[in-house]
Amino acid sequence: MTNGLNWRMNLKSDLSDSELLRSMLAGDEEALALLYRRRQGGIFRFALQMSGSKTIAEDVTQEVFLFLMREGHVFDPARGSVSAFLMGVARNHVLRRLRVEHLLAPLSDDSDDDGPFVHPSSELCPLDDLTRAETIESVRKAVLSLPSKYREVVVLCELQDISYGETAEILGCAIGTVRSRLHRARALLLEKLRPVAAVEETGSATVRCFA
Amino acid sequence: MNCQRFENMVSELARGQMMAAEQRGEALAHSEMCEKCAARLRDEDMLTRGLQSLAAEMKTLGAPAAVESKLLEAFRTRHVVTPIASRRSNASYWAAAIAAMLLIAISVVVFRWSNGADEPREVVKQTEPQATPENKVPENKPAEQFTAGVQEHEDLLPQRVKPKRARNSGVRRPASAQLANHVNNEIATDFIPLSYMSAASLQEGGQIVRVQLPRSALANFGLPVNMDRYNERVKADVLFGVDGRAQAIRFVQ
Repeated sequence: MTNGLNWRMNLKSDLSDSELLRSMLAGDEEALALLYRRRQGGIFRFALQMSGSKTIAEDVTQEVFLFLMREGHVFDPARGSVSAFLMGVARNHVLRRLRVEHLLAPLSDDSDDDGPFVHPSSELCPLDDLTRAETIESVRKAVLSLPSKYREVVVLCELQDISYGETAEILGCAIGTVRSRLHRARALLLEKLRPVAAVEETGSATVRCFA
Repeated sequence: MNCQRFENMVSELARGQMMAAEQRGEALAHSEMCEKCAARLRDEDMLTRGLQSLAAEMKTLGAPAAVESKLLEAFRTRHVVTPIASRRSNASYWAAAIAAMLLIAISVVVFRWSNGADEPREVVKQTEPQATPENKVPENKPAEQFTAGVQEHEDLLPQRVKPKRARNSGVRRPASAQLANHVNNEIATDFIPLSYMSAASLQEGGQIVRVQLPRSALANFGLPVNMDRYNERVKADVLFGVDGRAQAIRFVQ
């Protein structure tokens, strides 16, 4: 029986996301299973990278597909791909959960209209001194500490490797906005990953490496 | 290429985004000449590598199998119990079920009401054999609308009264008064209220008194009168309430 199910699913594996969604809405369970297996990873990772919580990531993944069962008919192919639609739904769920649970790490500076970013000196405590694991952990923490609007472009463009265009679809903004936010987000990440210069009363800087 | 232009494109350069080969060459050449921009490019490269490492580390992560199981279960429940195609028709099923329940409820109420209204009829069975106009009509509280027509004659002058035509007479009768019976093989019309009468007043009990009336009295209740037998009399049962007032009347053949 399992072989039969797998055989039928293999037949459908060539179907596009839109076709699977249509079949799913018509009551085809295999279509749901295929679509889920195709898209759940990205959604789960997106939620995990945005929230840092596996519980939230699991909940969001489940909520996204439950939403798809209930409201899948609202998907409009003319407005974008199914994956972008799902990621957009996931984004809404993640942000709602984060608002509720107050997990957002606030930054004092949360505006696109910030002044020019002054990059700290590059000679101090370079990232390549870190071991790989430490680097990954530091980057993960730095990403999580970004304001949500910067975090989401980093997660989508850098970690999920989604194009600017699709990211713009997911976020509902212009490609230029995605580009500028990503530029700003990377600058903030570098700032967080670099040593913090504590200016002494005398005006001279002492360097403390957080790596 | 100057530092400002380099700064604008350093992220794209480090991320390996597509750009014109000439532009890329200019940027790289500038970074070789400008130490600050070279350091900036190194930092961006390191950040890119860090992000790529994080992405690679998480690449295999996914939702636990339990999530898929729950979703498929929810899907089955949704499509088996309330399939999309039949969800609309379910509304009509619900409406039909509610209508059926209402009908049943109304039937029960009417049935109970009728049973309650039967109580005076029980009185009829008990009192009818002894009932005479003289000793059953309360003397102190005669039925005002009726006593004038009460006669003491015992002779029965059968006259067929058609209950169906009586129903068309326009006299409004409560359902509880629809006590058309065959008591002692007699044919009787429904009880016609003589005054305001409710089911509650019927349930309070009372007495039925057999009387004879001029046939012309039928006309008073909207019933047809055979003019050929206009002077004859007709039997009737008068229902007296506990207060002694005549509540209703029915004509008997």
